[in-house]
Amino acid sequence: MAKKLSPVAQQARDFYLQQAQAKSTAENGFLKQVRENAQAKFAAEAFPTAKDEDWKYTKLTGFIQHHFTTVGTSEAVADKIQGYMPGFPVIKLVFVDGWFSESLSDDLSELPKGISLESFSDTLSMNSELDQLFADEERILSEPFGCMNSMLMSDGFSLQLAANTTLELPLFILHLQTKAEHLSAVRNRIDVGQNAEVTLVERYVSLHSEGAGCNNIVTEINVAKHARVKQVILQQQNGESYYFNNQFITQAQESHFNTFFASSGCVVTRHQNHLYMDGERIENSQNSACIASGKQTVDSRTYTEHNQEWGFSRQLHKYVLDDDAIGVFDGMIRVDQQAQKTDGQMDNKNLLLSDKAKMDAKPKLEIYADDVQCSHGSATGQIDKNQIFYLQARGIDKANAMRMITKAFLLEPAEEIADQQIRHWVMSELETALEKTHLA
Amino acid sequence: MLLKVENLQAEIEEKQILKGLNLEVKPGEVHAIMGPNGAGKSTLASVLAGREDYEVTGGEVEFNGEDLLDLDPEERARKGLFLAFQYPVEIPGVSNKLFMQTAVNAMREERGLAPLDMFDFDEYAKEKIELLDMRADLLERSVNVGFSGGEKKRNDIFQMALLEPKLCIMDETDSGLDIDALRQVANGVNALRSDERSFIVVTHYQRLLDYIKPDHVHVLYDGRIIKSGGFELALELEENGYDEIVQQYKNA
Repeated sequence: MAKKLSPVAQQARDFYLQQAQAKSTAENGFLKQVRENAQAKFAAEAFPTAKDEDWKYTKLTGFIQHHFTTVGTSEAVADKIQGYMPGFPVIKLVFVDGWFSESLSDDLSELPKGISLESFSDTLSMNSELDQLFADEERILSEPFGCMNSMLMSDGFSLQLAANTTLELPLFILHLQTKAEHLSAVRNRIDVGQNAEVTLVERYVSLHSEGAGCNNIVTEINVAKHARVKQVILQQQNGESYYFNNQFITQAQESHFNTFFASSGCVVTRHQNHLYMDGERIENSQNSACIASGKQTVDSRTYTEHNQEWGFSRQLHKYVLDDDAIGVFDGMIRVDQQAQKTDGQMDNKNLLLSDKAKMDAKPKLEIYADDVQCSHGSATGQIDKNQIFYLQARGIDKANAMRMITKAFLLEPAEEIADQQIRHWVMSELETALEKTHLA
Repeated sequence: MLLKVENLQAEIEEKQILKGLNLEVKPGEVHAIMGPNGAGKSTLASVLAGREDYEVTGGEVEFNGEDLLDLDPEERARKGLFLAFQYPVEIPGVSNKLFMQTAVNAMREERGLAPLDMFDFDEYAKEKIELLDMRADLLERSVNVGFSGGEKKRNDIFQMALLEPKLCIMDETDSGLDIDALRQVANGVNALRSDERSFIVVTHYQRLLDYIKPDHVHVLYDGRIIKSGGFELALELEENGYDEIVQQYKNA
């Protein structure tokens, strides 16, 4: 039965259903089925409201006033790319309004043996085993924006690394939004074989300085035994836009996964990791650094399942909130009764630069094993007056003192980024974003 | 006259702490301010350095001919006033190097000198590290994070050496230090003594003064200086405690 919705929400829901139906009627076979499943669920459950516990602080009242279309793209952006490239060698994948641009991306035919990389739209049209590709739809559909992604997904990338292969250069995935009122429904699938290794750097930017755009992303990552995946994501869309990302990561034994999320811009940002540790001696880290100002909301959440013995997980999430901004952190570490010797730590620290900024933090532990070491913590406050005075007493002016302290606070989670070039680049991007707060 | 304090009155949270304090310090002099707990010693140090929590309700302070009370804390520092903290503050994520390079360049700007770049600063800092016998990795570490009490105080002395102030106010620098740390801190201070540089050493005990010999000793009680003298006054206090002097003052 459909939810009782406001007229505005109803119109938005019907709009996206129409968009989805336009896609599914042109399709057939398994994909059509996937789309229709998602549509049925979306019709019944969209949109969550403040009454839903998981959406209490992250309001969609602004989002439903838009009707973001998934149709259309722009190609006249070639001269803009250079300004968004990091200053180190990468393999470049460029997406314009959610669509893979072959002409703007690096040549993918030259990849080392055993590594295949293609656009997700190619995967959808050419893959004969879609039932395997969509084996885990259930958990994607359980997220409202995951469900929306399943019925609207257009493009993205599929990356497969065979056992023992390494992609030496980081894969740099640049998403450009070129126009307002457009939604990019991005689906990525990454399978990293045994003992294989890859580094992913994703960047989301708006080329239009005004007007709202939307990225709705779902990424599935399978990390096989002994494989190593490092990931950095920069959310830098304009201040009116929306960003929803659901990542589903499954790790096999003794694999490593490190992810870092940096967020600035967007009126609503919601970044979610769903991480399943399905083998022994798995290690991972999930860090984030979020900046919000004006009336922005930034929501970063993690769900981490320790399912086998000797798992090691680390998390540090830091927020700097200015003006009327709202920060939301929700983290759950669930330790299965099988997962003895689990070592899990989750920390959240927040700095409020104004009296009106607000932080809602919910770190949670659910432990069913008896021999584990787990901790979680959250602290929110303003810059310590004593720290400011200490710097002033050495001749550093107050504004500069506050900048130094805030910067150091925000950059700490980025210290986990192992690659020095990537780390420095991310830190300088975060510094630039800080300059836009009233600290500057 | 480097520092001239006249009838200084100050309060915190509407409680009057300094009740008309007078003090004059000439270039190169070392003054000790001694007194029992609650006399206002740390308040004096904080008010001179410009800590916001304190409100000056009366009196005047002239520093090098300028009205000190009119200046922000950072301006006081740039004009050559240095406070060594009773509790040096930890600043996670800010390296000593960034901290001190920023501070040194703020001083240099004030003095009309070009800023030191990374390499020049490293060289300059290395000299001071050697002079004070500090650990070599000091610059790379976050400010005071993970430092022992003694290391924190010595880090303040190191900062003093880098910033080359005219007046150093040491706020109970000896508190919480064992005898070895105390000696190291005192050696640092003595290495920085000169004809132009003055010190105000605020302390409860005489033991620091065995190492840093003051020219003048003042007894602070109830927000005023009630007795002044030479080093022999410190010895007298060590011998007889504060009671006798306080009693004389109350009777007078």
